[in-house]
Amino acid sequence: MRFLRGLLLPLVALVGFACARSSTGDSVLVLLDPSLKRDNFSIFFGDLEKQGYKLTFRSPKEAEPQIIKDDVAQFAHVIVFSPNTKSYGADITPQSLVTLLNKNTNLILALSTKQTPLSSLAAEFSLILPPPGTPLISHFPQRDTPATVIPVEAPSVESVISPNLPPVWFSGVPQALGTNPLLVPLLRAPSQSFASDADSDSGADVVFEASEKGGEGLWAGKQLSLVTGFQALNNARATWVGGVEMFSDEYIKKEISKGKESGNRQFVRDVAAWTFQESQVLRIDSVEHHRVNETLPQEVYTTNDRVTYEAYISKFNPELDIWEPYSGIKDLQLEFTMLDPHIRTALLPSSEPGKYAVTFRVPDRHGVFKFVINHKRKGLTYLESSTVVPVVPPRHDGYPRFLSAAWPYYAGAFSTSGAFVLFVALWLAGDEREPKKGKGSKAE
Amino acid sequence: MAPTKTASQAKPRTASSQQSPVLTLWNAYNETTSTRLKTIDAFLVFLMLSGIIQFLYCILVTNFPFNAFLAGFSSCVGQFVLAASLRSQVNPANKNEFKEVSPERAFADFALGSIVLHFFVYNFLG
Repeated sequence: MRFLRGLLLPLVALVGFACARSSTGDSVLVLLDPSLKRDNFSIFFGDLEKQGYKLTFRSPKEAEPQIIKDDVAQFAHVIVFSPNTKSYGADITPQSLVTLLNKNTNLILALSTKQTPLSSLAAEFSLILPPPGTPLISHFPQRDTPATVIPVEAPSVESVISPNLPPVWFSGVPQALGTNPLLVPLLRAPSQSFASDADSDSGADVVFEASEKGGEGLWAGKQLSLVTGFQALNNARATWVGGVEMFSDEYIKKEISKGKESGNRQFVRDVAAWTFQESQVLRIDSVEHHRVNETLPQEVYTTNDRVTYEAYISKFNPELDIWEPYSGIKDLQLEFTMLDPHIRTALLPSSEPGKYAVTFRVPDRHGVFKFVINHKRKGLTYLESSTVVPVVPPRHDGYPRFLSAAWPYYAGAFSTSGAFVLFVALWLAGDEREPKKGKGSKAE
Repeated sequence: MAPTKTASQAKPRTASSQQSPVLTLWNAYNETTSTRLKTIDAFLVFLMLSGIIQFLYCILVTNFPFNAFLAGFSSCVGQFVLAASLRSQVNPANKNEFKEVSPERAFADFALGSIVLHFFVYNFLG
């Protein structure tokens, strides 16, 4: 079966070739603020359409098309480029955006220095925004752009962003990160940058004082995030971007240095790919468990059985639009739990691609156990699997018999019998020699 | 037979009065006990040693197949009890107490009881 599938899948993929797609769907709703010209984002949107996404544009204040209709999410992905919009159509509220996330719709949300409904929603994602009207500022490196337009090094984070990108242009608002473990910071602010409420250097004293006070009220440095991913527990992804200008044609074409293009085009492409569940998307195809030297699963396992557990994991390949076996996870673990993990062991890739297997001894404990895979890593789809199996003690005739430890007892019992027979023989033989022969003959 | 024998052995007994009491006891036992009772006694001693060994093994090494220990040990104990009652029943000194039990009857009881005991022991052993 698996071989057949391996043959068929690339064929199916060839039909849909050239459309690199998301693993969850192609329809994208773009909420574009009327103040932003669609042509200013032609490269970003053009790249998306070239990849096979179907973009639908809508002004935030319009009523149609609705994002949720009859309790069904109408789009697979939503881009909210409305950094200045204070009032939205009736169907768009912070709550409805969270509902979308619950319905496995992916979101890209752009923030700005203005106070909007989105800024208060950001707090629900554990993003702490600076006060309104305080953009990120950096005077380094020396350049001819304003201090709020900053080139930022974009290192490859969690394999989401392509490696060796040139710096990207950013202008907008930074976010401090709360302790939420679901956050994936994709772009960090430069060390020399800080958030200040004045474009000029008149606010420098305030910043300086704040840093003198041990950093209280100071929004500065690498701890700030500029582009922050958030992967919900249902694997829907939301990305918060500090400034919508990152996506604009102007910033994509803007040169970092003479003759050297900025990394914005690839960077926003990578951010969209991650957010729309193209990259770093995994799934568990199937799990199997059986006793060693068997192939079919047991309905119940007996304590101390040796059991093999196998998981087949695939990774989505957006270029071919197929799921491919993936053996690249090195830190996968299997737990065999009854309330607590009785066994926690590494689940390592085996020779077959995409297959992870481990063999272990079932603990000497009966009860309802679960095979649990719970693999949560930043940027990667969460892998969760749980299979319930009962573990029973051996049946009454299933215990080992005639153990070597018990040979003194066996010897004792047999020698008692032997001695009994010998004694009876001696007794009966001795009877003949007794003087009262009459009795012996009577007994016979 | 006992009274006549003890009477005839009275003289050597006084002669060996300087010997240790244990030796005197041993000699008296050797001389006054019939072969059959000696056979029973030997059997009893064997069962006792076997039981002690198993009990020590259980305490010092392992009682793990506990059913095996119970079977082995109780076969010794049970056989010991049966043999001891046989001894008391066939002992001529107790004739007055077991008037209605002939030695043959006592032996048949013993043999039947032992066979039943061993049946249970082997059932329990594995």
